[in-house]
Amino acid sequence: MLEEIVAALRARSDIFGWSVREISRSGVQVYMVPEAVEARRDVADRRYVIDVVRHTPGADGSMTAGSGNVTLLPGDSVAPALESAVIMAGLVHNQIYSLPLPHELPEVMSADPAILSDADATLDTLLSRLEAAVALLPAVRLTAAEFASEEQQVHLCSSTGIDATRTETLVTAEWVLLCREGDRETEAFVEMTRRRAADIPIEAEVARRAQYALDGLHTTSPPQWSGPVVLRDDTLATFLHGGVLQTLGSGQAKYSEASPWELGQSVFGEAVQGEPLFVFATRQLPYGNHAERFDDEGLPAQRVPLIVDNVLQTFITDQRYADYLQLAPTGNFGDIEVPAGTMSAGALLEEPYVEVATFSWFNPDEISGDFTSEIRLGYLHADGKRLPFKGGALVGNVLQALTNAHWSAETGFYGDYQGPTTVRFGQLTVAGEGEQA
Amino acid sequence: MSDQYLPQPMVKLRQQLGDIVAVIEAKASYGAALLSATQGLGIVVEDREERVMEQEPTAGTVVTAFDGTTLHEAAVGGFDLANISEGARKLVSKLKATGQHRIDPGPERQGNWQTAMRQSPADLTTEEKLDRCHELHHRIRRLDERIVNVRIGYSERGELTVFRNRTTDLGQRVQRLRIGVAVFVSGPNGVRYDYLSKNATGGWEELIFTDDELQSVVDNAIALTHAERIEPGEYTIITSPGVTGTICHESFGHGVETDMFLKERARAAHFVDQVVGSPLVNIYDDPTVPAAYSSYFFDDEGMLAKPTHIVENGIFRRGITDLYSATALGIPRSANGRRQDFSRKAYARMSNTFFVSGTTAVADMFAQVEHGVYLEKWSSGMEDPQGWGIQVTCHFGHEIRNGKVTDRMFAPIGISGYVPDVLQSIRAVGDDLQFDGGICGKGHKEWVTNASGGPHLLLKARLG
Repeated sequence: MLEEIVAALRARSDIFGWSVREISRSGVQVYMVPEAVEARRDVADRRYVIDVVRHTPGADGSMTAGSGNVTLLPGDSVAPALESAVIMAGLVHNQIYSLPLPHELPEVMSADPAILSDADATLDTLLSRLEAAVALLPAVRLTAAEFASEEQQVHLCSSTGIDATRTETLVTAEWVLLCREGDRETEAFVEMTRRRAADIPIEAEVARRAQYALDGLHTTSPPQWSGPVVLRDDTLATFLHGGVLQTLGSGQAKYSEASPWELGQSVFGEAVQGEPLFVFATRQLPYGNHAERFDDEGLPAQRVPLIVDNVLQTFITDQRYADYLQLAPTGNFGDIEVPAGTMSAGALLEEPYVEVATFSWFNPDEISGDFTSEIRLGYLHADGKRLPFKGGALVGNVLQALTNAHWSAETGFYGDYQGPTTVRFGQLTVAGEGEQA
Repeated sequence: MSDQYLPQPMVKLRQQLGDIVAVIEAKASYGAALLSATQGLGIVVEDREERVMEQEPTAGTVVTAFDGTTLHEAAVGGFDLANISEGARKLVSKLKATGQHRIDPGPERQGNWQTAMRQSPADLTTEEKLDRCHELHHRIRRLDERIVNVRIGYSERGELTVFRNRTTDLGQRVQRLRIGVAVFVSGPNGVRYDYLSKNATGGWEELIFTDDELQSVVDNAIALTHAERIEPGEYTIITSPGVTGTICHESFGHGVETDMFLKERARAAHFVDQVVGSPLVNIYDDPTVPAAYSSYFFDDEGMLAKPTHIVENGIFRRGITDLYSATALGIPRSANGRRQDFSRKAYARMSNTFFVSGTTAVADMFAQVEHGVYLEKWSSGMEDPQGWGIQVTCHFGHEIRNGKVTDRMFAPIGISGYVPDVLQSIRAVGDDLQFDGGICGKGHKEWVTNASGGPHLLLKARLG
């Protein structure tokens, strides 16, 4: 069917350019509840996504560009669908832009050989490892688990001559550990996504989260706190993937005047007290969740220096906004990479400080960077003690926090983030209860 | 009503579903089939660009077989009989009867439904819809020179569903529309924005903005350029219907999804028929609310839509169910078994969840507040069914002094606390009712349409 669509697109003289993606996916899903497998599912799907661009006169007579799209399933009629996409494109009048040309595409590690070989067996192994790891910890029980794998193959063809394929896999894992003492009950909830099953650290995560569940039995009220705050591991990854860097660093946001960032200038409106910030937006991170040879319009995977020594180097753009802003296109944002810091993780844990172990949902305002996020589990470290607490909110601003941050020399891989395992922010607020701790 | 509103491939395959279910039930104690498709259109108009695009469609078939313990499903893209039959054949070939549970297929039911609309989106061309978005953009753009961008976002989504089991043959076409405005202004601290949306299961007649509403979005965006952070502490607050709905959604919405009972993740499971809030608290989930954004006629597991009274006068009565958890727990089903799309499993999910109106006029409610905060707009929320903690983040709130809203604005504001404490602190319930629509995840996945709402409330809560 791909050949039929390409032929139909080539036959149209009223479009400036086009691309078509044949997307095939298959997946396996397993869901567990106490003492039973609730569901097992097999999923298979194929579709063809067509994008067209037309050049038509705008209201003032000058030439404009418009895009339209349509999705077909196997067996659908090509001609009427294509016609509707072309009509759609003719309604839209934007500044003219070009389409990506063919480039040499890097090899990017994005598919798990184990999933490609036997997805069912790979998930069953994960489930067995999970059950075995929990069995070693009599204080907690496993009350639910979900594992899903997906294999996706994409074949992209375009009017500019791109003809490329990519294969990627994703494994998602969720589980719940429950802990009970008298009439008190707490849970630890884990959710992880990785390209490769081997990158889901089941045993280590079970041990860490079991400790969270146990600590949850003895939480106190959240403290009022203004001072150093430490984030580690996947909670740090969550902080960096809150959307602020992605939004303010995007060419689209710059074009629409939502981003105040300027090329060659500091991304901070104030002096930096901590370590300088370096951020790479990368689609080349081996088995990174967003690793891909090329994106949906065919732009090759890149490792883009976004912020170097606090200074914005470029905006993350597709071809269109790159043309508008006169930049080189980068393609999708991808994963975040931060270089190692200068201090050991241990040195960043000087008391007193608050550690946020898990947020309910870290969801900052993507334009202002302001956040107020409930703390699902935190620790106050002071006077040689580690007091767990639940509730209260971490209050601050993502950019301000990053002006006063120290990063660990130890690094780790967390699916969509590779970089320091630990960050210490010099000054953040916990909106808690009672007197200042 | 006939099923002429369904596309031909679905209609054709529907005629074969009885046979497919019979093949499954030759080896399984229960079989079912679901045909599910979504299709739609999106339009975005901004100052410097515009977009018209197809909403990413989904189309596929799910065949289900229950072996007494486990639901086995094959989810196949499209509606090709040969593919579906092959999927069903493979499914039953692996089955072994292992468990004791039996699923009740329900009484004999047949029917076809579609959303009632005065002005269906199908009656307008795409060009006419784009023109309406341009017109709305122009209405707002001229309201203040500090505006740097206005974004209009329109989406329409048609959901086509056929469900079949041994006793049931149901079809529906549900039409959801949404239009949102976002106003961006530039101020001394950078760009700030406010937004407002209209949404409905219905037609374009539901998508009308008044001039006052649009002016209010502009005024709030401008006010946000000099908003302060609130001093953390306990406050007397008045919640707008949107914030009320979000509190309701995160507490006795997610908290009473009975798949969470089965997984021992919901504290509410221990509180059936017990007091969980003030006697002023009444909470429903109801997929039959006319025009609300998440209304439907039957769920993805063939249950006909009807309201569920979750909290009655402060007492928790019952949860909302999917098929599996209701069967395993031995409790009555509600019409809340929903899937993100055919490629995903069904879970117990909310439809339109709301706090029932009371009797206090909103003006009287404000008059009772000497010093407090009016939480006008919510931006996000997150559930904690096991811990009964609550997180609702508000885009902004206004100071109340001596019963009046002042010029002082706080942003953003987080509400946190223990759910029963928050619900117990409610002192007055407004006589109004409004719904906000959107999408909702289970954790951070499984996105389905959703609406939540309620009246204004007067209560105490911790803000930060």
